[in-house]
Amino acid sequence: MSSPPAPFALTAHLALLSSISFGGFPTVLPDVRDFVVATHGWVTDQEFTNFFALAQSIPGPNMILMMSFVGWQVWGFPGALASAFATFGPPCAMYFASYRLWDRFRDAPWQRIVRLGLVPVTMGPVIASGMVMARAADAGWQAAAITVAAAAITLATRLNPMWLLLAGGTLGGLGLL
Amino acid sequence: MTTQAAQERNLEHSVPLAALAIAFLKVALYGIGGGGGLVWARRIAVDQRRWISEQDFADIVSLCQFMPGPNIVGIAVCVGTKLRGSIGAIAAVAGFLLIPWTIGFTLGVLYLQHAHHPALQNILGGVSATAAGLLIATGVRMLLPHRGRPAAVLFAALAFGLMAFGKLPLLFVLLGLAPLSIAVAGIARAR
Repeated sequence: MSSPPAPFALTAHLALLSSISFGGFPTVLPDVRDFVVATHGWVTDQEFTNFFALAQSIPGPNMILMMSFVGWQVWGFPGALASAFATFGPPCAMYFASYRLWDRFRDAPWQRIVRLGLVPVTMGPVIASGMVMARAADAGWQAAAITVAAAAITLATRLNPMWLLLAGGTLGGLGLL
Repeated sequence: MTTQAAQERNLEHSVPLAALAIAFLKVALYGIGGGGGLVWARRIAVDQRRWISEQDFADIVSLCQFMPGPNIVGIAVCVGTKLRGSIGAIAAVAGFLLIPWTIGFTLGVLYLQHAHHPALQNILGGVSATAAGLLIATGVRMLLPHRGRPAAVLFAALAFGLMAFGKLPLLFVLLGLAPLSIAVAGIARAR
């Protein structure tokens, strides 16, 4: 089942995908699915979907966790570790190098201009991903009201977000959403 | 400028590696669902510890949006690098990953052997609706310093609309709008 080349093929493939996963790891999920489900049959479609739902609902680095579940399925615990490293290692090196470069040119006139132009364009998508998440979680107007209330309270006060999450979870648990 | 630089250098030496690791451990444990970590990273690094300025944090988030991989890990790398160099980056990433990964992986493997629980699903629904609101507020807050520039507001709205309603991929939106936005900022500054 887990012939020696399988874990290496998976690790190498994940390392490649993580290096090109511009816009976050979810953008390469379809490719991961093709590789592990369709091409190699290491994981069933149902299992792959379960891994996704599970990783989304556990605190922590969810895409790294999801790939660990895939690796675990293919090669047990060593596979889980190898997949985790392949998912965050290459991007980490790239982040480090590019931040060093950005920091070196701190206070350069062009950097101020790039910043003024860049920040609005990258914050729009942050807000949009909040909207997309709200829609994915959406169960009706009550859930939408919770989202709006949480955003308004966060902007108006310095309340610890933990209280808001607790309140949201309680309302959901009581079946009010 | 020199005093600010000196202040920053003092600040850098005063941040222990353990504090960095613990801060990002919190970021990982508190942030449920995609993007939730951003809310906590900003709250801890900017509001509570005052390790970095609002502007530096916004820079880091912008930079990370353009890079591959999990953006929140990128934020750990950049904040760690800014405060303590490469060893700081390692401390932040280790704090972010080691314990949360172990807990998450153990829970996950246990959970995968059982079916989905309806009560748990309801709670998770409420939590993720709230988490979405927190994420929206964090994005708005990082935009606030730019609200006086109509071009910034326009480009933020465009990027938001293309993502939320146009359903275009992030990279496409960024590569399409960033050069325009930077050009407009450059022209406005030259005047």
